[in-house]
Amino acid sequence: MTRKSAYPYWFFIPAGVIFAILFIVPTVASFYFSLTYWDPFEARFAGWDNYVQFFSEPFLVRGVLNTLFFAFLTSALKTGLGLLLAVLLTSGIFAQGFLRSVVFFPVLVSTIGVGLLFQELMHPTQGAINVALAAIGIDGPGWLVNPKLALFSVALVDVWRGVGLATLIYIAGLSTIGPEYYEAARIDGATRWQQFWRVTVPLVRPATNTVIVLSLIGGLRLFDLIWAMTRGGPGFSSDVLASVIYKQYQAGFWGLSTAGNVILFLMIAAIVAPLAWWLNRRELEA
Amino acid sequence: MARVVLRNLRKSFGALEVIKGVDLEIEDGEFCVFVGPSGCGKSTLLRMISGLEPHTSGAIEIGGRDVSGAEPSERGIAMVFQNYALYPHLTVRENIGFGLSLARVPKEERNRKVDAVAEVLQLGPYLDRKPKALSGGQRQRVAIGRAIVRDPEVFLFDEPLSNLDAALRSQMRIELTELHERLGSTMVYVTHDQVEAMTMADKIVVLNGGRIEQVGTPMELYESPATPFVAGFIGSPQMNLFEGGAARTMGCDVYGIRPEHLTISDGAGQWVGRVRHVERLGADTIVHLDVPDLGPLVARVDGGLTYAIGQQVHASPDPERAFKYRG
Repeated sequence: MTRKSAYPYWFFIPAGVIFAILFIVPTVASFYFSLTYWDPFEARFAGWDNYVQFFSEPFLVRGVLNTLFFAFLTSALKTGLGLLLAVLLTSGIFAQGFLRSVVFFPVLVSTIGVGLLFQELMHPTQGAINVALAAIGIDGPGWLVNPKLALFSVALVDVWRGVGLATLIYIAGLSTIGPEYYEAARIDGATRWQQFWRVTVPLVRPATNTVIVLSLIGGLRLFDLIWAMTRGGPGFSSDVLASVIYKQYQAGFWGLSTAGNVILFLMIAAIVAPLAWWLNRRELEA
Repeated sequence: MARVVLRNLRKSFGALEVIKGVDLEIEDGEFCVFVGPSGCGKSTLLRMISGLEPHTSGAIEIGGRDVSGAEPSERGIAMVFQNYALYPHLTVRENIGFGLSLARVPKEERNRKVDAVAEVLQLGPYLDRKPKALSGGQRQRVAIGRAIVRDPEVFLFDEPLSNLDAALRSQMRIELTELHERLGSTMVYVTHDQVEAMTMADKIVVLNGGRIEQVGTPMELYESPATPFVAGFIGSPQMNLFEGGAARTMGCDVYGIRPEHLTISDGAGQWVGRVRHVERLGADTIVHLDVPDLGPLVARVDGGLTYAIGQQVHASPDPERAFKYRG
């Protein structure tokens, strides 16, 4: 047995220090401060009070449920639409390169900009969407003012904004599938539909897993788009965990806000870590 | 089983014509090998027969039926691809039964057919494995199994052994030939390896630049190559071919003599040269000579003979086995 030299480990130190300062210290500090009532001058130990209060407020629980609904809905739509768009944009259609840019363009635009733009477009009476619907005789809904619809409307905008990235990942995934798989399937008599379900979907799985995990994390943490479009309203109908946390912070409940952050962190970890493990395992089995 | 007929088949990619009018008849049950250098159009021609590559003009008949416009699945063919095209997410059983499952063949019947094919190819123990858990030869057999289970009239092979190592390739050549004998199906096989062509084919089609150079049995091509190209392509080591002044002294434009039809001696001979390199293969030895006024010359001699680098020797062609081409 040769003893491993300590020398290579020195090279980990710069990255380790940066990681510790930027991630480990704030995370540990958050755990601590979530157990206190704190402001910039003092921190009083509060035990589990912040957590108890968090879960005893009905609108805070609503925020958690909204977050889950939003994350799973947008993740599912980005995954499904991203795959369909990627298949379309790799099929050799007219102006393929231009259309790829068009689909990806919203990813490059500032989220706040997108939020404000759609806030105008979705205005119940003067917004372009409802004006266009009215022109063909449809009475458009109150996209952002109807409490039952507001979160769903923001989710649609988030999908519009984020589907370009999902499509890009899928295009990369599709380009790794050799043409001979489709040729073998054609010789076996596979229809286009069968080729899609029996060849494309299983073979593009690594890309699917990436899109699911990334979009789910993005959906669970979403704040800026909600804030720009609805600020969690009307009422608390489109509040998500991140917007609730921000509101608590604004109101001066810093301990409660920190507890919310810890809950958000644990929720993301509890959902994404096992999901990623399961998806990767299935990928390895294939 | 079926006869395959190609009539004035052409293929162009834009202005570039890659198949320049091919007429060919492949008999029922024949093992026909398309051979030629890279870019000669052999794979394109195979893909045109399969229907994966549409042809520009001409006609393709399989089993007396014009299949020119037919989908690949309607042509009664099965194809084995160079890199096997096995689905990594499916087991061997599912891969072999893929086409049957697409056609919604009941599971019991599908399993029965897959089991029968697996027995022929000795794949029984591997049916529940995924392709990545198989060796190259086993993967190749699964790809062949997927073709057999369709019970096609014609098998198409696109360089199926090129990803295997030399030993396995030699074994698979024998297995494929035996399979052909057992099934009696028409097989069309593409390779750039003339050893595969010689050892497996009933009929070899030598292609060059999108045209057929010569069609014949392996021994016909070896004994009577119609052109210098065929002469140089068939046979290993390659035939010695001389042009220009050296050929003109022999009364032709291109003079060819196979390495095995040269005699090397220390005494008198037609050409005098020096040994540049010696390759010992065991039974045979390949001697590379430099002959002034002629150029490099390769001779195959008995493995028991030894020559030193730089040694002066005499080489004499067997005039009965020499080839002389004009024009």
